[in-house]
Amino acid sequence: MKAPFSKYLDSLYPFVRHVVDELSREYEYVSLLSTDSVGFTVRISRHGKSASNENMTTERGNVVRVLTGGHYAEYAFNLPDASDPEKTLAQIRSSLRMQEALLRKTGSKIYETAALSDEPCELFAEKEAGILPECVDMAELIGKLTALSDEGMSAVPGALDCALGAMSTHISKMFVTKNRHMRQSYVYTEGSYTMMALNSAGETKMAHEGVSGLGGPEILDGLRAKISQAPKLMEEMLSSRPIVPGEYEIITDPGITGLIAHEAFGHGVEMDMFVKGRALGAQYIGKRVGSDLVTMHEGALCADSVTAYAFDDEGTPAGDVIEIENGILRTGICDALSALRLGVKPTGNGKRENYAHKVYTRMTNTVFDSGTDTLEDMIASVKHGYLLRGTQSGMEDPKHWGIQCIISRGYEIKDGRFTGSVVSPVVMTGYVPDLLGNISMASADRGVEGNGGCGKGYKEWVKVADGGPYLKTKARLG
Amino acid sequence: MLDMLKEKLSGLGVYGWELTETRTRGWEFYFIGHRLDQNRAKDILDYRAKVYVATEGGKYLGAASALISPTASETDVDRILADIKFQAGLMKDPAYTLTSLPVTVPEKRESVDVEAIAESFIAALATLPETDTEYINSYEIFVNELTRHTLNSNGVEYTCIFPSSMAEVVVNARAGDHEIELYRAFRSGTCDGENLRSELARALQFGRDRLIAQPTPILDKPDVVLSTDDAVEIYSYFLDKTFARFKLMGMTDWEAGKPICPEFKGDRISVRALSSLRNSDRDFPVDAEGSVIEDRDLIKDGVVQCFWGSRQFASYLGLEKSSAVPNVRYYGGTKSAEELRQGDFLELVEFSDFQVDPMGGTVAGEIRLGYLHQGGRVTVVTGGSLSGSLTEAIPTMEFSKEEKQYNNNVIPAVTRLKGLTVTGIK
Repeated sequence: MKAPFSKYLDSLYPFVRHVVDELSREYEYVSLLSTDSVGFTVRISRHGKSASNENMTTERGNVVRVLTGGHYAEYAFNLPDASDPEKTLAQIRSSLRMQEALLRKTGSKIYETAALSDEPCELFAEKEAGILPECVDMAELIGKLTALSDEGMSAVPGALDCALGAMSTHISKMFVTKNRHMRQSYVYTEGSYTMMALNSAGETKMAHEGVSGLGGPEILDGLRAKISQAPKLMEEMLSSRPIVPGEYEIITDPGITGLIAHEAFGHGVEMDMFVKGRALGAQYIGKRVGSDLVTMHEGALCADSVTAYAFDDEGTPAGDVIEIENGILRTGICDALSALRLGVKPTGNGKRENYAHKVYTRMTNTVFDSGTDTLEDMIASVKHGYLLRGTQSGMEDPKHWGIQCIISRGYEIKDGRFTGSVVSPVVMTGYVPDLLGNISMASADRGVEGNGGCGKGYKEWVKVADGGPYLKTKARLG
Repeated sequence: MLDMLKEKLSGLGVYGWELTETRTRGWEFYFIGHRLDQNRAKDILDYRAKVYVATEGGKYLGAASALISPTASETDVDRILADIKFQAGLMKDPAYTLTSLPVTVPEKRESVDVEAIAESFIAALATLPETDTEYINSYEIFVNELTRHTLNSNGVEYTCIFPSSMAEVVVNARAGDHEIELYRAFRSGTCDGENLRSELARALQFGRDRLIAQPTPILDKPDVVLSTDDAVEIYSYFLDKTFARFKLMGMTDWEAGKPICPEFKGDRISVRALSSLRNSDRDFPVDAEGSVIEDRDLIKDGVVQCFWGSRQFASYLGLEKSSAVPNVRYYGGTKSAEELRQGDFLELVEFSDFQVDPMGGTVAGEIRLGYLHQGGRVTVVTGGSLSGSLTEAIPTMEFSKEEKQYNNNVIPAVTRLKGLTVTGIK
């Protein structure tokens, strides 16, 4: 079935249209984004269970953007009085006036910016979904997750916990300007388990796997297969040892490949950072940043993932950008305002944490293209190194192209064979062009994952997905 | 809406409930260089309801919660509350009590002057000691007034208005074509312009120094000194280890009445939960569950005094009273900052990211800037990483008598750690 567009937003449209039209008499550019996204979070743990209708993408609210005095200003609100739009208009005008007065008082200079394009656009996109999160049989879902948690606990004697988490959101967004009326709705779902146990030294070790994708809570059925592999993974984690720091040949699984894509040339080519002069990538357009095997795509159209929207939060249609082509950096990704300032076209990557937050250039699906090698050949080619699996966290450094990835575990390979030794945790650091330049093999398959969230700096959390094939390269591990 | 929700929750027939109304009035200013990129304002009203349902004759207690939009219709509200009541009945946690003491602290109803705070931030950031080669790249200013009404089924009704602010600042330093950047995020209640200017002046100095930094040599396990907000990560580990939920999960083996390590060769840490902390962005005296936040020793002279946490986990541990710990002081150092900077050591002041795993105490960070003190010489270094076990470093850890506040944490100004590994790149 299609994910139906919010009836609430449709009912709000006359109000929104009135506000936009009225403000358009006073301001050169006016847009209004309204959101109504419903969903749930369920957490099952030996040490506490919870259910909520809230997760990182559930929201209901509005944000109006205007061009005033050569710069853009916004007002976010969630208590529109549909029966009295003049009241809301008065609040918007008052807020804008007060802030303008403060800017004059402080003598603040303006980053002059032109008016955004407002080409006519009527778009209505309802993406295919299975079960809607608001229609899920919660008793059945909680029962399934509880059974999986119990199964995990019984499979690993001495486990401290086998916690299950599940989230699903039915997103509806409406973007309105003088000439545009765009509506979209889609559903995404993600789930994961986290198992913990103590090793012989009394240290807590953790195994974590997840599922995610565009679609309803039926995606959570994939957790069963993950849980069945949990005992083996936990055993590997419990027997793991610290790695001897050094430079190694590495093979990254699609999850770690995605982490590299995200941290290396995801954040590195967000073009709002070009406007600020914060990204080294601006100087490398048209230049080599990786080996011939490196081709990387970015865009909401690249994969049916947790961020496969039809248009972004500025009303720009979703795209599919080739950022790196055979090792050459071609372009970055761009929100609408940054595109205006840089004289390029927006790529559909203007995203907000929610309606109450500012738009930044943000990633959607960041994915390396597949190659032609087999994983078996890649392993056989390694003299001494590790197959890396399990994303924990990463840190971007667009200014200096440093990269830091904290990875759950590495499987040791010597002379083309696994030794059976597992190291954990693994901190991978390095210089991005070296890491990508040393890519010498890529597998023919690929995977895309979208669990968790991505911050800009240390805030502004949004959903992203990333992935690619198995890659072979070299990196410093510690 | 608040009265309607309170009435409906009271008549819902559940074991207990909590309700929070939060209104956020915020102003935001975004600058590129010192030119305004964008300004924003927001006026947001949210309701959060949580219900508790007892099942099987009180053997189990379950909870479920909901965010309720102020535009929700009464029919929507009825459906949402019925849903969470049903879901709570499916969540079979072992029974616990929902104790809630009467709130005797006075309400805080003084409004926040968002405009004046925003003006202070703009003024402070416009008057930094910048030069042609060390300067501000961009900054973002967030100022909020939060009005929070907290109610629960035990009769708690409390109103608190408090400020919450943040300035995110990116600093550049340049030598010829080589430019580096440093990132700073200052969270606080209101604007402390003097501290902001002082911290950013220090950041500009770090920027200058990083341009002349040498690759970090191979050092094995030098004494490491931390003197920036990265040290908050170190101290937060002690708070995590006294978290009731971690105790129940087996993620901490610390026990009330027992020392946190067998033998202290360094300083004995004390950790105190604070009922209030000036200019913290979390300076509210009642938590979301309606529990009063009191001054309380969690660790005293290296000995665990008590655990802390929500009503559920406090009940499981048999704690008579507990609450969230939004503000905390770590102290107990016996030496001055100057004394801790004696001899050979590596003072690390910038990481690309610095983390301490709350479960195992694993320390990890990629070094951006450090000062290597060896034989009376100081070398500015960059690159490599810091790693190791905080658990193993605790017995010999030393920290200064002088203190420094980073938002909701008051920590020793200088911390000296032994036994951590520095992986150099030279």
